Amino acid sequence: MRLASRRVPLVVGALIVAALALAPAGLSPFLVQFLINLFMLAALAESWNIIGGFTGYASFGNVAFFGIGAYTTAVLLTVAEWPFALALPAGGLLAMAFAGLIGMPILRLKGHYFAIATLGVAETMREIVYNLKITGGGTGLTMPITRSPLPFFYLMLAILVAATLVNWWLSASRFGYGLIAIREDEDAAMAMGINTAFYKTVAFALSGAFAGLVGGVFAYWITFIDPEGVFRVIVTIQMIIMAVFGGMGTVVGPLLGALVLASVSELLSTQLVSLAELFNGLIVILVVLFMPKGLAEVIRKREFSLKKLARNLREYRV
Amino acid sequence: MTKRFGGLAAVSEVSFDLQDGEILGLIGPNGSGKTTLVNVITGALPYSGGDVRFRGDSLRGLPSYAIGRLGVSRTFQIVKPFRNLTVVENVMVGALFGAHDGARALAVARRRAEEVLDFVSLTHRAGAAADGLNVPERKRMELARALAMRPTVLFLDEVMAGLNPSEIDAAVALIKRIRDRGTTLVVIEHVMKAIRDLSDRILVLFHGEKLTEGPPAEVLNNPDVVSAYLGRRYAEQSRA
Amino acid sequence: MLALQVLINGILLGGLYGLMALGMSLIWGVMNIVNIAHGALIMLGAYVTFWLFTLWGWDPFVSLPATIALLFVYGYCLQRFLLNLIVRAQLFLTLLITFGVEVVMVNLVRIFWSSDLRQVTPTYAGANFAVGGITIPYVRLWVFLTTVILSVLFLLLLEKTRLGRAIRATSEELRAARLTGIPVAHIYAVTFGLGAALAGAAGGLWGMLFPITPIMGGGLTLKSFVVAVLGGLGTMMGAIVGGLVLGLAESFTATYLGPTYPNAISFGLLVLILILRPTGLVGRRA
Repeated sequence: MRLASRRVPLVVGALIVAALALAPAGLSPFLVQFLINLFMLAALAESWNIIGGFTGYASFGNVAFFGIGAYTTAVLLTVAEWPFALALPAGGLLAMAFAGLIGMPILRLKGHYFAIATLGVAETMREIVYNLKITGGGTGLTMPITRSPLPFFYLMLAILVAATLVNWWLSASRFGYGLIAIREDEDAAMAMGINTAFYKTVAFALSGAFAGLVGGVFAYWITFIDPEGVFRVIVTIQMIIMAVFGGMGTVVGPLLGALVLASVSELLSTQLVSLAELFNGLIVILVVLFMPKGLAEVIRKREFSLKKLARNLREYRV
Repeated sequence: MTKRFGGLAAVSEVSFDLQDGEILGLIGPNGSGKTTLVNVITGALPYSGGDVRFRGDSLRGLPSYAIGRLGVSRTFQIVKPFRNLTVVENVMVGALFGAHDGARALAVARRRAEEVLDFVSLTHRAGAAADGLNVPERKRMELARALAMRPTVLFLDEVMAGLNPSEIDAAVALIKRIRDRGTTLVVIEHVMKAIRDLSDRILVLFHGEKLTEGPPAEVLNNPDVVSAYLGRRYAEQSRA
Repeated sequence: MLALQVLINGILLGGLYGLMALGMSLIWGVMNIVNIAHGALIMLGAYVTFWLFTLWGWDPFVSLPATIALLFVYGYCLQRFLLNLIVRAQLFLTLLITFGVEVVMVNLVRIFWSSDLRQVTPTYAGANFAVGGITIPYVRLWVFLTTVILSVLFLLLLEKTRLGRAIRATSEELRAARLTGIPVAHIYAVTFGLGAALAGAAGGLWGMLFPITPIMGGGLTLKSFVVAVLGGLGTMMGAIVGGLVLGLAESFTATYLGPTYPNAISFGLLVLILILRPTGLVGRRA
């Protein structure tokens, strides 16, 4: 939140983005796919960070927006035969609109009720998509194949950069201060002149917009989507745990979290899907137990010790 | 104005005028409805009856953020710091979102916040984490946040609770300086010495009703007021 | 007549939903933990019943106490050695960790017991009887009666025993409970164990009616939410009332709208209730 020296991270970030943009030239196809997946997860984590990290409303249903983006883009591509350049923004826009609309009633809920309501929204979306004919119902939709993964590489990277820039803007803007105040003490925030309902809804809509855009790119990249494959709760959990592990409410936290956890996942990944998922589940448990405040806090306080990890373990116990 | 919770009237037909530039003391035993009164006026609770007019406009039905933007601010009895922000950042929120929409630019808000911190003598703690303050510092930050909103009317809800006598004296002096800068104040307090020192007039609530109002000397010696706090017997004893 | 059949079906199913939700409501009410792994516990109970039936020929109703005991121990350990560590953390962190537990449990089952569909098919499985034009499968009726018995037993435990009082005291006023010497860590673990036991029992009963798979729990967790919230959190009667409501809603929508709609309806109901009346049908208004 420091106003000073805002330019340095921006320059560093630009350099990293430039390096990444040149990367496909020198990397194996496997690594390119890994990076696309990484950009996707990081973008989702950054998008969740807006509503979960900055505003303090931990939504467990953001995969709904991802799915709406995916399906809107897919339907427009296949059924309406729109060009991708139009279908993608449409997906993002619809996801954003949906998030804004559903946010108005749902953001009035607090704590567990809010979390479950968002979960319910995601599950309901899956069921609705499953029952609709235009979305292909249970059979799913197939997209035209593209030969090169490069467009997806750059698109995901672009969305990631945009989402990160929004987070960066939030970290030092009047709007961002408003969101943080809501997170810290919503009653005080209201008393101080912040229109909390409006701010929360905008944050939720922004979160949904980026998740939707990611979903749209995902649909075209993966070429086949179906309700079970798209509206998976584990996707929401992944974005949350990455943001938490890296440090929710920070700009760089979700990026770090995505980088570390996606890499670990990849290292541990096996042919056996259940084993891979098992490891993901263990990661979630371990992160909550040992690093609930995230890497960013560890780095900030320079507490790289096992003793500190052990202390984390005791902080929230009965 | 009246405020009922179910069958219980927490505030019952309480009516008063607030003069520009005055300090109105609001006293009464615990549970007499003082905080509820402030909560309704500032939009934190809905009305059961009546209205409040601020410079001719009705405040009834407005959400609390709108009332804050009109220039009516309050502090909370149990302070509500933004724990993960620093002191100056806490106050900046007030500066950013206060009366007439506050400051738009962060730099302007920061300057205002630093000014306010200087005014309440908290500059030395500007960069400290908000949850690392001691009790008097926390109260002053809470006050600073409300002041940064540049309110026309400021409700102070028991800002002196938990302060020792010298801290109370400092608080009284500070509140007077706030009034001198042009803010009208309503001060809820239990510390009688401070109320007597501060108030131009005092309003007494008892069981949600207005018991009496008037200048400090009159009100604080009123046997009904004494008996409201200490019971009939003490009132009679003090008269005898 | 169809309507009456649908009604009966709804009630029979609803009783099971109520039992399922009791466990979740208990844990939520006492420790403010929303247990995402609840469905996985139900699933585990179903598998235990299945293996006892398949390996040793134990009748599923007879093996229920064993299932209950096993799940109790499992739940106790889970709370005592894992969840107690994060009980005081922010709400969403506890949600997150139970998600992790769910993923771990489901995938362990997939790895060791495969994803094949399992079924518990005792000899009386398909038999039913007719009463005034309505067909009632015996198993469903006995399942319903068992849920009633278990629910009553549980409510008695909560209201009449010393343990039940300790649990209720801890849920109402933690600090005071501590001060009167109640060992909170242990009570929390017992509470979770009870919740798991109820879930396991529900799972065992569920397994007699529906196919058992490792991923059966996900939807059931949400349904238990719906029921718990419908009825009103923390009120045990509410879980039962909510269960009946959901059972009836599903039965009617399945018959009159189509078999793919019940899920959408239940989640839709959840969102609606949360928006319109979060304290539920039975719960007191905050």
